[in-house]
Amino acid sequence: MNGQYASLLIALPLISAFFVPLIKGAGKKAVKYYLVLITALQTGIAAWVFQQVYTSGKPIIVMAGAWRPPVGINLYIGHFAALFVFIVALVSFLMAVFSVRAIQVEPIDKYAMLFLLLMLGATGMIATGDIFNLFVFMEITAISAYALTAYNKTGEAAEASLKYIVLGGIGSSFFLIGIALIYGSLGTLNMAQIAQLAGGMNATVAQVGLALIVFGLAVEAELFPLNAWAPDAYQAAPHPITAMFSAFVVKAGIYAMARLLYLMQAVGSWHSVLKLLVVLATLTVIVAELAALRQKNVKRMIAYSSIAQIGLIALAFALGTQSGVDAAVFHMVNHAIVKGMLFLAVGYVAMSLGGAELENFRGLGKRMPLMAFGISVGAVATVGIPLFNIFWSKIRIILATLDVGYTWAAVLVLTASVVEAVYYFRLLHVIWFQGEGTKTDENIAIGLMVLFLATLVIVIGIYPDYAWNIAQKAGADIFNVADYIKNVPLMGVGA
Amino acid sequence: MISVYYFGAISLILIGLYAVLVKKNVLKMLIGLSIMETGVNLLLVSVGYISGRSAPILSEGIGPNQAVDPIPQALVLTAIVIGVATTAMALSVAMIIYERYGTLNVEEIRRLRG
Repeated sequence: MNGQYASLLIALPLISAFFVPLIKGAGKKAVKYYLVLITALQTGIAAWVFQQVYTSGKPIIVMAGAWRPPVGINLYIGHFAALFVFIVALVSFLMAVFSVRAIQVEPIDKYAMLFLLLMLGATGMIATGDIFNLFVFMEITAISAYALTAYNKTGEAAEASLKYIVLGGIGSSFFLIGIALIYGSLGTLNMAQIAQLAGGMNATVAQVGLALIVFGLAVEAELFPLNAWAPDAYQAAPHPITAMFSAFVVKAGIYAMARLLYLMQAVGSWHSVLKLLVVLATLTVIVAELAALRQKNVKRMIAYSSIAQIGLIALAFALGTQSGVDAAVFHMVNHAIVKGMLFLAVGYVAMSLGGAELENFRGLGKRMPLMAFGISVGAVATVGIPLFNIFWSKIRIILATLDVGYTWAAVLVLTASVVEAVYYFRLLHVIWFQGEGTKTDENIAIGLMVLFLATLVIVIGIYPDYAWNIAQKAGADIFNVADYIKNVPLMGVGA
Repeated sequence: MISVYYFGAISLILIGLYAVLVKKNVLKMLIGLSIMETGVNLLLVSVGYISGRSAPILSEGIGPNQAVDPIPQALVLTAIVIGVATTAMALSVAMIIYERYGTLNVEEIRRLRG
């Protein structure tokens, strides 16, 4: 089949989002099942693209309107994009199933629309090969995320959303200034051509442009000084949306940052931008872990833990070596699985017991054994115990950090992991060894999803080689810019 | 010498940033955000200006060589729409906040803390 069909990854959610108001006529239940159906279709297409890219070893280049880049916009679905588009679709599918039970407030049609647009935005951010198109997809993701954060219509939700909008607005303005500087200096918006011409760019302009882009994306990617919105948004947003934020919206931001950074390797002042990012990432890990330690709300606690893991990923991306990038991609995959599962289980518990306060989790092991099992596997995996998936990616990140010589960063990050172990084991203690209760019914569909994700965590933990191979291929896609340029069929303009 | 367009655009961005950081009223912060977006848009179009040329519309007597760079204009058109959407979203959130809290002072909107 023709690779251009991969553009359905963008087209399908967009068209289906427009059909939601029509489906609403058939009833509220219909909208929820429609959402499940569309995300299932999207997962199917993403699986096909994934299989195509990994068997042929060649990226799929989708050219908009058959205009060859750099004149037209192109989608670059290489090893990385194929992997993450699949993860985005899969997580969306699981959360659409969860939404059938979890979303009881009106208006459901707007929820379904924003849900699809959030998935579309994240897919586009990962797949695009044009820097301004990246901005547009980032804004689609951000605006649907603002609206979904405020969806519950409580005062808290509106407050969280307002913080997110103000920070996101400043961030996207900075990002746009960065684009203006790069465009003004190079005269192109196509990523492959930027990479080709980057060597001849004025070092100061490049440094300022890159730093502005890193700051702009840091809002979406939750790096330290700009992540104050994240714990609030995670706490106040509907439960399925929280899982989507943590599993892929953040990842799309951090990926865009890494992609743009590595495209401009040839720039003279590149290493000073990397140093800035190393400092930001290390601070993110420490501040988030310390903040998580004193949380009473479990959802908020896991939100801080999620930010800390993103800090680890950013650290690995900021090393500027092949092993660091590979480790970062591997950690992104593992973290998406683990946090998807944790937020799913915690969200279900909060939904059935009316709130995610630590009090509600007393004796959960006796009342809801399946959810308690899911939370336990997720908690143990996040801390990085051997035989669980995050152990492998965390140790690779630490080793890659030591290779480059940032011993201080490795020490600080490891210390933060000890702090992480403290609050997760306190949660496990509350779940299994405190309180009494009798067994209550658990939803079978949600139980099965938790079991499926827990199996993935353990299987990757015991046989990491297969997933590691995939992560290495995806990492090479980001790190090896020469191949990236070669794969995009640039028309002979300006080159 | 710095072009007056660049100077004006950067000043607008800084004025907007100042308003967002310093003002206590949510609406004033949103006005600041809007001013900042305007500044960015002005910067984008001035990047594409080529002295002495006219609007990039092909017609009698105006060929591709007498027009300014059209790409930043397409970018700004997109960015303006995005800015309006963000502002509309933010204003509706501000309305909900006023209903629930009875104030628009950011120092009193502090129910979420941890």
